[in-house]
Amino acid sequence: MMPTKLNKDQIQKIILSTIGFIGLIYCYFNFFLGPLNRSRESMARTIVEVQEKTSSSKNEMKKTDNLEAQAKEATGRYEAFKRTTAEGAPIAWFPPKMKTFFSSHDIDKATVRLESSGDFPQPELSNWLRDSWVVDLPQSEYDVLGKAIAQLENTEALLSVQKLSIRAIPDQPQYQQVALSVQTVLLKK
Amino acid sequence: MALQLNLLHEEITQERQRKRDPLKLGVLALCVFGAILFIYYGWNAYRTLQIKSQLNAAQAEWQRVEPKVTAAQARATELRQIIDSTKVLDGLIEGRFYWAPFLATISHCVAPNVQITTLDGGIVASDHSVTVLLEGVAAAREPRAAAEDLRQLLIEQLEKKYSNVKVTFKNLEDLDTLANLSGMPTASARFVLNLTFEQKQAEASKSSEPTREAVKSK
Repeated sequence: MMPTKLNKDQIQKIILSTIGFIGLIYCYFNFFLGPLNRSRESMARTIVEVQEKTSSSKNEMKKTDNLEAQAKEATGRYEAFKRTTAEGAPIAWFPPKMKTFFSSHDIDKATVRLESSGDFPQPELSNWLRDSWVVDLPQSEYDVLGKAIAQLENTEALLSVQKLSIRAIPDQPQYQQVALSVQTVLLKK
Repeated sequence: MALQLNLLHEEITQERQRKRDPLKLGVLALCVFGAILFIYYGWNAYRTLQIKSQLNAAQAEWQRVEPKVTAAQARATELRQIIDSTKVLDGLIEGRFYWAPFLATISHCVAPNVQITTLDGGIVASDHSVTVLLEGVAAAREPRAAAEDLRQLLIEQLEKKYSNVKVTFKNLEDLDTLANLSGMPTASARFVLNLTFEQKQAEASKSSEPTREAVKSK
């Protein structure tokens, strides 16, 4: 069989076809398959990211549940601390409360005045106020005073006596004049 | 010998040439190759669609979880704040100085021949130590000795409950006037005692227990 000789026209067609074929392959990979693959890879990456985010979020939710269980006691106590602060301005309710308290221990005529009010330096107590009060008890017996202070210290957790001054009344030696400097921790409202 | 003549020679050659036409073969090969590329593209597109559906599912899951996570994060922050605040508040409660037991100790130390006229106490903010100034009158045949007895007894009793106890005389002077002790005129001395001490940590925790119970019951 004799090989067919290509004429000039056929050779031109072959060359043109080859160029067209190469162009087609280029277009196919660059403008069709390339973007498709890139989009798929990008979506695969996004899936991994979203799944990691979801997984870590679920872990975080579990941790929060655990924290909730661990913090149950602290939460309960914190709520109790919050309840020690009555509604309204402290100057409105704290002095009457102290007067009533000391009256119930037969210590009458107590006067209570606010000395200073300020924030705590600790950032954890940013929601709490530190108020200093002066409680004057013009006449009290020593043992009665001791019992009253004991009860005050045991029932008012967020109250602390910072200064105590007891002076005997010259004419009535069985009575003392008392001044208490009291610090309270009250919730800001 | 028989003579064989191919009368269709030209037609056969033309047919053969037509079949071997490179353009036709090229177009055929191109069509086959194009079909392969199309199938390959289709396969890739199918995989992309599958991944897109997976992405949609993952994003839907995230959309479902996200509000819960945001709420959980906020709650965790709140809980940590509560725990920290409670710890600091507990620290304040445990660090309190309880005056009632101290007053009880003082009353147990004061003998019938001693009278306390002034008690001034306070907590030093810098180191949480306690300083107390006790002023009084002691009456006895040796009034200075009575005042010293009180000082010794105070040291002994306070050391049971507190640490770094120091009881020193700031002033001790004999008085010219005689005190009436059980109907007998007795020599007396005026004293000023300076008490400084710190509360023991274990004692402080023990003292704060009733307060903790009181908080729980509220």
